Amino acid sequence: MSAGVATRPPGGVAEPGGPGPTTRRSRADGTAKRRLPLTGNSTPDRLRRVGALLVLGCVVTAVVAAVSGYDRSQAVIESDTRIAALASDAAGLFQSLADADATATSGYVSGRRESPEGRARYDGDVQRAAERLVHAASLLPEGHPATVPVTTLTTQLPVYTGLMETARTYNRSGLPLGQSYLTQASRLMQQTMLPAAAELRALETAELSEAYRRGSALPLAVLLLGLGLLVAVLDVANGERSRTNRLLNPGLVLGGLAVLAALVWWGLATVRTGSALDDASRHTEAVTALDDARTAVLKARSNESLVLVARGGGSGDRTFAGLTEPVAGPDGRGGLLGAAQAGGADVAAVRAAARNWFEAHGQVRALDDSGRFQEAVESVIGTGPSTSGGRFAALDDALAQVISVERDAIVTDVARARDAQALLAVVPPALLLLAGLAIAVGIAQRTAEYR
Amino acid sequence: MNRRAGVEVRRPAVYLGLAGILALGAALVPTTPAAAPPPAAAAPAAPSAPAPACDQVVDSLRPQGPLPEPGAMPPGSTMAAIQQRERLIAGVDQTKYLVGYRNPLTGQLEGTDIDIVRRIAQAIFGDPDRVQFIVYDIADRVKAVEEKQVDLVVNNFSVTCARQLSVEFSAPYQLAQQRLLVPKGSGIREVEDLAGGTVCTSAGSTTERELEALPVDMEVVTEVAIPDCVIRMQQGAVEAVSSDDIILAGLAAQDPQTEVVGRVLATAGYGVGMRKDAPDLVRFVNGVLEQGRDDGSLEESFQRWLGPQLDPAPPPEPRYRD
Repeated sequence: MSAGVATRPPGGVAEPGGPGPTTRRSRADGTAKRRLPLTGNSTPDRLRRVGALLVLGCVVTAVVAAVSGYDRSQAVIESDTRIAALASDAAGLFQSLADADATATSGYVSGRRESPEGRARYDGDVQRAAERLVHAASLLPEGHPATVPVTTLTTQLPVYTGLMETARTYNRSGLPLGQSYLTQASRLMQQTMLPAAAELRALETAELSEAYRRGSALPLAVLLLGLGLLVAVLDVANGERSRTNRLLNPGLVLGGLAVLAALVWWGLATVRTGSALDDASRHTEAVTALDDARTAVLKARSNESLVLVARGGGSGDRTFAGLTEPVAGPDGRGGLLGAAQAGGADVAAVRAAARNWFEAHGQVRALDDSGRFQEAVESVIGTGPSTSGGRFAALDDALAQVISVERDAIVTDVARARDAQALLAVVPPALLLLAGLAIAVGIAQRTAEYR
Repeated sequence: MNRRAGVEVRRPAVYLGLAGILALGAALVPTTPAAAPPPAAAAPAAPSAPAPACDQVVDSLRPQGPLPEPGAMPPGSTMAAIQQRERLIAGVDQTKYLVGYRNPLTGQLEGTDIDIVRRIAQAIFGDPDRVQFIVYDIADRVKAVEEKQVDLVVNNFSVTCARQLSVEFSAPYQLAQQRLLVPKGSGIREVEDLAGGTVCTSAGSTTERELEALPVDMEVVTEVAIPDCVIRMQQGAVEAVSSDDIILAGLAAQDPQTEVVGRVLATAGYGVGMRKDAPDLVRFVNGVLEQGRDDGSLEESFQRWLGPQLDPAPPPEPRYRD
């Protein structure tokens, strides 16, 4: 390396103070990097070199800021998409399927012709489930893990409805084979389809959390580069000021300010997005807990009907209790509703409705266990305010309402995050490029003075 | 720094380089990945206890004198306790057409076995409807009696000596013959035609053991209830269903594409199952059954439900060990 030759000062400016060997070595590195037009060791050459370095720093930081700003905006947009997918597909799918099953089984308890309302509700559930499957499938890239549960559901839905139609046909003929088909259909739903829908929902929730995390992570790369750049610009500006005993170079000052502005923009966006996505995350947890609670009560409702249809004595009411205990917890205050409350949801109405339904269910079991089967059936299929059927409907409505409020809150939070990140991929990179330009002009002015 | 100095290239380069390296590091350091989904729970296996060995079926207990008037059960008797409770608790089935089934048009339980329960309720209360029906899987019938969940079980309950270790049976009220149900035109006429095939029956039934004991190389699969076997046959998963002719008659009646074929593989007598510590109830029920035998109403019930499907044998003559 020709470091020895290059150190001769042709510009007549004194060597900077400092330990010789270190200086020489690192300068040698610098010259090695930028040998072609910037290899000279005159002051203008060195100025050009430092200018080029700063401009390069600006451009690199601008690129990193653009890429990472774009990635964060994408993460927030993806949160939006995932929320839509989660609300309309995964959770909705689960809801439709569980509701279809609960409707079909409770319709069968009556031992009468299926009511037009029940039939319409079942048909609507199946149709919505199919629509959601089509939509969910259309969003999935090839090889996505959610393909497995979606495939399971897509293949099993027609099997389920087929079993249900066979059950209906036999029931209309007054033959008990219908009940066996109904039981088989319900088993398929409870043991295969609902778990698949739950898996889909879990996958969507995990991806949503990942999008939240990506959208609100501390942008270390941008901040570090920006800070390093700012310090470098300040150092050069300060060095020039003290070297020339002149005022600050306007180009360097403008460049430094632009870098600072970009940093501040990033910092503010990060803080505001973070807080919005934190809120969204909290509400998402609340909705997840509420979805789970709704699922649990739907399953419990199916069980209430099936136990009555099957007159399944002996086993007692353990399945129902096992299904409903997680909803409000063993003491009636915690459980999934407690988790939803911790996420900010107002669950007072749901708690009251749940208590009412559990109480009505207790009466159903008491009636059935004391031999008053017909009265128990009347309560389950009833719609009045004191019947199990009516109170279950009230609970389901209350849950649906809170879930809808919480979902709206998530949408608002994510919109806030989106606003906070608006132009993040554009303005800071533009500011950084502007800084690069200002620095280049400032350095060019200074080198021009050496002509 | 404040001294007059040359243009410093090194320091800004160090700042930028350091920031670049740190930024690269920050971008490359992996962030916490999403939590893995919880592992699926393992399915529990249902073990079946082998039947204890015994040699011979014993006869039932003889009725004592004439039946008491309905609503006036002898004080201190098991029947009096039932009367006090104001309902008879009976373990039945609700999926066996014509025998013990839930009529989907009315939601009511009907069939030959249900008639017997109502006959006993009539004798205790003077009201055939004072009954709480509880449905048990075939495999749970003995347990229901042993654990006092029911007063009695009327559910194609074959009297076997193994079951007599824990259940006291009434004298058999109906005779059943184990045969095969196959799709029409399947070419299967006898159990030997099933070699290499699959036959289905209900878990915990005597049929299951009879099939296992046959010297035919066939696979025996079980379902919780016998209609589930028919569903599997309709779906093409099994070649045949084996059970008692009385049960098969109800299944064939629901699917005209099936028929009952083959020689009699085993015979059994259905009895009312009760607790061993309530001999007074057993004697009472035997008395009720004798009444039905004597006035022909028992046979009439068999004819009414099963007559169109098969020629039901008349109720067998009771034998008692006293």
